[in-house]
Amino acid sequence: MIEVQSLTFRYEVSERDALRDVNLTVPDGAFLGIIGPAGAGKTTLLHCMSGIIPHAFPGDFYGAVRVGGLDTADNRLTDLSRLVGTVFQDVDSQIISSVVEDEILYGLENFGVPHEEIGDRLTAALEQVGISSLRERTIASLSGGQRQKVAIASLVALRPQILVLDEPTGELDPFSSRQIFTLLRTLNREHGMTVVVVEQKIMLLSEFADRLAVLNDGEIVKEGPVRGVLSDIPLLERIGVNCPRAALFSSLLAEKTGTEVPVCVSAEEAVEAARRVMG
Amino acid sequence: MTDLFQYVPGNSPLHRMNPVTKIALTLSVCVAAFLTDNLFVLLALILFDLMIGVAAGAFRKALAIFRGLFKVSLFLFVLQALFVRRGNRLLWIVTDEGLSTAAGVVLRLLAVCLPLALVLTVTRVSDIAGALVQVLHVPYAYAFTLTTAIRFIPQFMEEMSGIMEAQTARGVEFDTKNIFKKLGLILPLCVPLLISSIRRTGATATAAEVRGFNLRTRASGYKKYGFGLVDLAAVLISAALITGAALIP
Repeated sequence: MIEVQSLTFRYEVSERDALRDVNLTVPDGAFLGIIGPAGAGKTTLLHCMSGIIPHAFPGDFYGAVRVGGLDTADNRLTDLSRLVGTVFQDVDSQIISSVVEDEILYGLENFGVPHEEIGDRLTAALEQVGISSLRERTIASLSGGQRQKVAIASLVALRPQILVLDEPTGELDPFSSRQIFTLLRTLNREHGMTVVVVEQKIMLLSEFADRLAVLNDGEIVKEGPVRGVLSDIPLLERIGVNCPRAALFSSLLAEKTGTEVPVCVSAEEAVEAARRVMG
Repeated sequence: MTDLFQYVPGNSPLHRMNPVTKIALTLSVCVAAFLTDNLFVLLALILFDLMIGVAAGAFRKALAIFRGLFKVSLFLFVLQALFVRRGNRLLWIVTDEGLSTAAGVVLRLLAVCLPLALVLTVTRVSDIAGALVQVLHVPYAYAFTLTTAIRFIPQFMEEMSGIMEAQTARGVEFDTKNIFKKLGLILPLCVPLLISSIRRTGATATAAEVRGFNLRTRASGYKKYGFGLVDLAAVLISAALITGAALIP
């Protein structure tokens, strides 16, 4: 479980708070999506959840963040990272090794995974992310999207209780993006991993996440089940978040026909809703 | 140019050799090259380097390294030939001793650079680091510094060419033939490159930390680096190279 209590954070070099009085609870086994316009504090919030803030970024930190019962301010980043796996937004700065296989081995070796188990975990992680064929390749020879997959695989191999990802599909094509989200859902449902994702592709996110949190200007302006959040279209439009077209469609359909239409998160659902309303 | 220092996967005896042995072999070529003044011994060392290149399946790369060193070698040769004043004058101010010193310097440069580059072609940097930690008991932090430095080379080059392309697209004449003009254009880029690298280094340090950098011990490594017959052979060759270079006048 992640508990964020009255969290306010200001970077040392900044004049204004990056996060202001944020309260948020992510229960075990949840799949939370975080959305919001650029500069809303999404990455900062993720860094607070993984303990990178306050350990690696200096600044004023008020309130408390507890991850699996551990206060992030009182525990070493190394101990926190046994619980939380982090995929950074800038994949190039996350990758440490020169060869794919070594990148995935790195965390496994460091966290003391028994050596007889490492081989299987390595192969499994590569397969799950769909990059078995890249095992021997050098990082320099990979495309941005492939590197992103390597970064994700290196965390998946560690099987942390909580996985936080900052725009994990930023450089991926639609097919691979869906593949990654499907993987995240499998990890979430079948392995009970708690997943927190910051993502710009809201349509995709809405389809896979259970809950959404909307950040704007350092504050959480809405948080709840996906459909509940997406039903507040005026709010999303006001802060400049791109609302999924399926949700827009269902709200328009309700407005024009005067009937009750549930919020849709995928094209299939929208088609289904239209069929029902039109008879 | 970037791929000169890149690992090329393979299964040659050189690939299978213990990384520590490879470093020892490389260093013994260097020691031999500096022990001798005999041009023929230096030529033999270069020939040996090329044979290693062939054995590693990287002959073309070895030639590419030679090509890369050609301009520097030429510059060094001319400089040495003009400035060494001993010996008998042959032509203008060039002396016979000048020529032989110049040839020695250039051949030594080639003999030394080739194995250093080849070792990175046949060894993953992580294996070098792993073997240093496991076999030579080097503290991991130092080995990590080495891997990170080598890992950064292609990244810097990518970033540099990114900046240059962006500026070329906006009319900066990076494709000029005038080397001084080009230098004048490139030098100011070093500052943004340096700043972005320092920033990136910070992020990489954090990335290493969240994946257990501080927990790593000598026993952490999954791969074991043993010694085999091929290593024994390499040690014998190393000894032979050094003794040969020291004994042949």
